[in-house]
This record gives sequence, structure tokens and C-alpha cells, in this order.
Amino acid sequence: MTAVLTADAVSFSYGREPAIDSVSLSIEPGEFVALVGPNGSGKTTLLRVLLGLVRPQRGTVTVLGEDPRELRDRGRVGYVPQRHRLDPELPVTVAELVATGRLARRGWWRRFNTEDHEAIDHAIDAVALSGVRKRPVAELSGGQQQRVMIARALASNPDLLVLDEPVAGVDAESQRLVRDSLGHIVRELAAAVLLVSHELGAVADDLDRVIVLKRSVLFDGPPDELAARGVSLGIHASDLPLWLEDLG
Amino acid sequence: MGLPLPWPFERDYMQLALVVGLVIGTCAPLVGAFLVQKQMALMGEGIGHLAFAGVAAGLLLSISPLWTALGVAVVGALLVEWLRGRGKASGDLALALFFYGGIAAGAVFASRAAAEGISVNVMPYLFGSILTVSPEDVWVVAAIGTLIVACTLVAGRALLSVVLDDGAARVAGIPVDGLNALLAILTAVTIVAATRIVGVLLIAALMVLPVASSRLIARSFRTTIVGAAGIGALSTVIGLAAARMWGLAPGGAIVLVATGIFAIVAGITGTTRAGFSLPSHH
Repeated sequence: MTAVLTADAVSFSYGREPAIDSVSLSIEPGEFVALVGPNGSGKTTLLRVLLGLVRPQRGTVTVLGEDPRELRDRGRVGYVPQRHRLDPELPVTVAELVATGRLARRGWWRRFNTEDHEAIDHAIDAVALSGVRKRPVAELSGGQQQRVMIARALASNPDLLVLDEPVAGVDAESQRLVRDSLGHIVRELAAAVLLVSHELGAVADDLDRVIVLKRSVLFDGPPDELAARGVSLGIHASDLPLWLEDLG
Repeated sequence: MGLPLPWPFERDYMQLALVVGLVIGTCAPLVGAFLVQKQMALMGEGIGHLAFAGVAAGLLLSISPLWTALGVAVVGALLVEWLRGRGKASGDLALALFFYGGIAAGAVFASRAAAEGISVNVMPYLFGSILTVSPEDVWVVAAIGTLIVACTLVAGRALLSVVLDDGAARVAGIPVDGLNALLAILTAVTIVAATRIVGVLLIAALMVLPVASSRLIARSFRTTIVGAAGIGALSTVIGLAAARMWGLAPGGAIVLVATGIFAIVAGITGTTRAGFSLPSHH
């Protein structure tokens, strides 16, 4: 099975200070992987390198077998940025915003066909927002808005979904709904998911692997192995933040 | 044109003004909707000042002022976008550079032209002269209007994607820099086309005010755009009629009607949030 994402000895520095140093990792199709680390550990930099937004100074990255900066079919990668503050006066509906995610698959200049509209509806269904598809996004709660962003990334039917802190600052019920949506994506759509988050309690049961980063990879393995080190993701959800704090 | 229209549009010159006004009144808010969402509501104002420098340069060099205005406005709009996109200047600072530089250059070029004995009348360019448009002007404005509508239909969804979240748009492979440049060029072209209608000093109002009104009542981006285009057209018709009835400056009358519509919509909806927050967005 070909990995959907690989990083081989990747390094990147801002000035003299290395943000990430010789990071290697791999994600297989359908895997649900969490990337965690204390503040300043290089998570955001690594994400930017993996998504092809910046070129690594050393090492190589492949996404779906290609250099991410030259990926031919961009629709195969979905990206949910860190909680995006939407303009509260923005008159854009859920369906309109999710439809912008389909441009990656269809081509930005082409008119949508039936398949595109079905993909958009399916993405909205996958995050349980079909009841509000015609509502302005600004009228939704923070958690609902975050699920709209996930639906936007899903609209292109990605093989790899990358989420940057998708549940930060949203209420417990929304966290549960985001978890359900991610579980659905992994099970039903067979997409690989890379989740960057401090709060893994909500998704602990669904994770295949956890990668702990502090400039370089400190741990890469299943949640059980992390638990064997005294770090519980589920029942004692506060273990991980405390452990990360110790690392920082 | 000889169309059987009732007063105040029964005369040929009023019919030409109506056609040109309707095209610009409808199309300017199409471009403005994306500028407002991009928090660049006053871009039209800055580029308008720059277009004035182009007009004055044309008068000085004895070249058609509208062509020199178009050239200067397009180059200026692309420069503003380049400065903003590379973080070399914030949106409002980049605009301020062109605001003052443009009007100063316009004043210097115009005074130089007058000193060389060239007849200089910049008032029609500053405040519009819609009642003097020719049938040839109608064709030019119609072509520009068609271009704006076509670009909105083809690239509207992609432009929305860029103004909502350019980072996610880049990851999705959308040509963010190219679309930002397209929006800048459309802004410049709209301003120059509208110079004959309301003048470079008032064109930004026609791009932004109908959008501000429409945002107060719309429930989607599509209805915001359609509503803004409708309000722009309505402002033009009422403004032209009022100008004929009371002998007012047509450009000013059109913009005052657009302002009045905003006040009425804000009063009816009981909110001023979208409109009054616009200045802080640029």
C-alpha cells in the first residue's frame, strides 16, 4: 500500500532557530493520525511544509506520491485551517461556503454539474448540517462553523484530510459532533486523516496513531503505547496536555 | 436612441445616460461585493484618485484621457495588490499611498497642461458628465459591463473562495494571486468606465453603497450580489430622474439616492451593522 503522506528527514528554520529538525513520518490510506506537541514545537511549520505552502530546507515530502508543491490533483487533499474567524456580517450560506471546497476537484473556472452538487450535499450530510444548509454561516455556533469548514474540505472527496486544531475553543457537544464526523470520514470515505490538536480526548477511541512532536518526532505509535507510558488520551484526557507541558 | 420612453427619459441624451448608467450601476456593485468582503471597500476610491492622474497626464500629452486613465489605473491597482499581497503595506496604507500620490500627480499634470496653453477641464472627470455620453461611449461601456458580468459568472465562486480564506484556497490549488490580480484589474476598468457617470471622486460609492444595503437584507452571497446590482440600477434611474427634474448634478444625485436607500434599508431592518462597519474594514 502506498503511503498518502511521507516526510523524510525534513528540516525548516526561521533564521538560525530550527522550527523542525529531521522530521520523518508516514501516513497510510485510511489511517487516523493525531499530531500533538507543546506550543512552539513546530506543528504549524510542519503542517505548512507537508501541505506544500513552504519548501523544506532539507529533506523531502511526498503527498500521494508527488511533491506537494506540484500536486496535479489538489482535490485529493482537504485542509481545515485553525479555527477561522468568520466575518459576523458575512452573508454566505453553508452550501455556498462548502461549494468553494469543490473547486479543487472541478477546476475553479468550470461550472458545477450534478456530481459536484451531490458531493457538496454529501459533505454537508457527513458533518450533520443538512438541516441548516441554506442558513448564513454567521448565524451558526462556533462548533457548527467548524463543521462547515470540515465539510468544505470534504467536498472535493479528498484522500487525505488535514485538520489544524479543529475543536479548539468549541463546546463539548460540538467536539462530540466533530469526532463523529471524523469517524464517519475514516470509516465511510476511507480518507486518511491527520489531526493537529491539543484535545484528543474526544477522538481517542478512533485514533490509529499518535505522533508527538517537539522540533523532531519524540513518539510515533498507537495510543496504547502512549498509555503504557502513563499518558491516557481518553479517560484521563488531561494527561496529554500535562505531559506535553512537561515536554515544553 | 429614439426609444419610446416616458418623461424624464424621452430625450435621446437621457436615454443614452440611462443605458450607460444602468450598465455601470449594475456592474460596479458586482466588483464591489468582493472588495467589501476582502475588507478593501475603499480600493475604488484610491484607484479613482490614481485614474485622475491618468486623466491629467492624457490632457497634458494630448492623448485620449480615458485611455491614459485606464493604463494608470490598471497598473496602480496591480501595484496596490502586489504591495498588500506581499505584506509590504497594509491594505489601507497601500491605498493611502495611491490616494494622495494620485491626486497630487493629477493636480501637477493639469497645472502643467494649463501652463502650456492646453484647455483643461477636469470637472467632468472628477464628478462625471453622464448627460454628454455619445453612442460610441455606450458601446464601450456595454463591452466593459459584459466583461465584468462574464468574469463574475466564471470566477465568482473562486473569488469568493479567495476572499473568504486565501490560505485554504492556496492549498486547494486555486490561483490566488491571479484572481486577486483579476479583481484589481476589474476594479480599475470599472472605475475608468464609470468616470463619465459619477466621476472618479464618487465611483467608489457606487461600488460599495449598494453592497452595504444589500448585505443588510440578503441571506446568501448570491442574493447579496443580485440585490446590490438591483439597488445600483435603481439608484441610477431615480438619480437621473431627480437630476432632470430639479436640475441637479447627475453623478451626485445617483450617489445620494444610493445613500438614501442604505439609510431606508438600515432603518427598516433596524440595524446598521453591515454598513457602518465598512469604513473600519478597508
